[in-house]
Amino acid sequence: MGSEKTDEELMLAYAGGDLLAFEMLYRRHRGTLYRFLLRTLRHRADADELFQDTWSRLIAARERYRPEAKFTTFLLQIAHNLVVDRFRRLKPQASDEETEAVFRNLDAPESDEPERALTEFELRRRLQIALEELPEEQRVAFLLRIESGLGLEEIGEITGAGRETVKSRLRYALARIRARFAS
Amino acid sequence: MTARDPDDLLRDGGGEIGDLYRRLPRYEPPRRLDRAVLNEAARAVHSGKPPRRQRWIVGVGSAAGLVLAAGLAWRIGHEPMTKNDAAMPTASPTVVPVQPIDQFSRGKHEAPAGTESQAPSLDAARAPAAEQRAAGAVGNRQDQPKPLRKQRAESKPASAAPMQAEAPPPPAAAPAPKAFPTDERDAEQAKDADKTQQGFSGGLTGQAPAAAAVEKRATTTNVRGRASPTLPSSSIELQRDMQLAPSDWLAHIRDLMQQGRRQQATESLRLFVRAHPERRVPEDLRELLD
Repeated sequence: MGSEKTDEELMLAYAGGDLLAFEMLYRRHRGTLYRFLLRTLRHRADADELFQDTWSRLIAARERYRPEAKFTTFLLQIAHNLVVDRFRRLKPQASDEETEAVFRNLDAPESDEPERALTEFELRRRLQIALEELPEEQRVAFLLRIESGLGLEEIGEITGAGRETVKSRLRYALARIRARFAS
Repeated sequence: MTARDPDDLLRDGGGEIGDLYRRLPRYEPPRRLDRAVLNEAARAVHSGKPPRRQRWIVGVGSAAGLVLAAGLAWRIGHEPMTKNDAAMPTASPTVVPVQPIDQFSRGKHEAPAGTESQAPSLDAARAPAAEQRAAGAVGNRQDQPKPLRKQRAESKPASAAPMQAEAPPPPAAAPAPKAFPTDERDAEQAKDADKTQQGFSGGLTGQAPAAAAVEKRATTTNVRGRASPTLPSSSIELQRDMQLAPSDWLAHIRDLMQQGRRQQATESLRLFVRAHPERRVPEDLRELLD
């Protein structure tokens, strides 16, 4: 529908006091944001908490929102900042060297890997496990790409990484997922 | 699963893995979260502006109450001076300063419990005035404080001047009770401003006006030439910080760190996070949030 308002227009309308605009905005993004948080954090309670916190901060900062910033990026930046804080408090991140070592082990030539016919259920299960096992940065990059449909630049903007770094993280993530399917 | 290059993921839909991902369970937030978020959004919209109005109304109401009290106090001192005045019906010029209170009463339906408490006291204040006028008419108190009244009567012009101009002697005590609650409110406001850094649902909407109010009061106080010992300077500084561009704000926080003002740097950074939730906190400042 051509007359449908954009996210940015809705956000500005909400900042101006239009509650219906917020409800529409919320309906559009609730699922994507929730799945991003749930799959990133892997714990429902944490996802619930940060989901609410993300919206809460967005609501609080509504008057500072400027339409130059894409709404999705704005929302996910808030969520990502909360996720990073949470990870930082929970456990230490894997160092770059560790990540590299794991990646080298996983990035075996394709011919070495046995091809298996996996059932649909098994495929989904393995993807789920693979996602859970990804290092945080790779999982975030992967989810921002696949769940939120963002490009390299946008992912970089949200995570504070350069384009090439994002690409590299996606590559690592893919390699790990592939390794999970091959095992 | 043969995808090896991130370009596979960057294709529309994310390629093979993207297809598989979309076949995973599509989790949705529970309804209680929907309710909580939507309620909060509604609260922010509905309670964002009225409180400011209510605070204003309370202020005006308090000021009007003080003026009335001062006027009544002064009037009590003058009441029996002339029999004509004493015998006058209730529609005396003293009603004139009550005008703001009527405005306040009209706006009362907007104001919550806090402001309503003003109204009865104003009514109660009117009652003794009427009683005393009646008493003056009977003349049973006519002779008591004569010397004092006489002095004032000599200095008072015959015409009814505005209440504020007439008020000086008795109201002299009035600012004293006002001064303490004002400072107390200042401290409370400052506390609120600090709380917003940690708080969850308060939000910036309430915070900015609160900080502004603190600053405004501080300015007023300085204009009056009165010290404000209870006004926390950090609140004013935080308010100033909020005016900075994000990068300047972060630089200012670093400056505070270098000056050894760690507590203030922490407060400022917490406020920064609330004001700019989409901004990443630089690594060198993260420790302040722990």
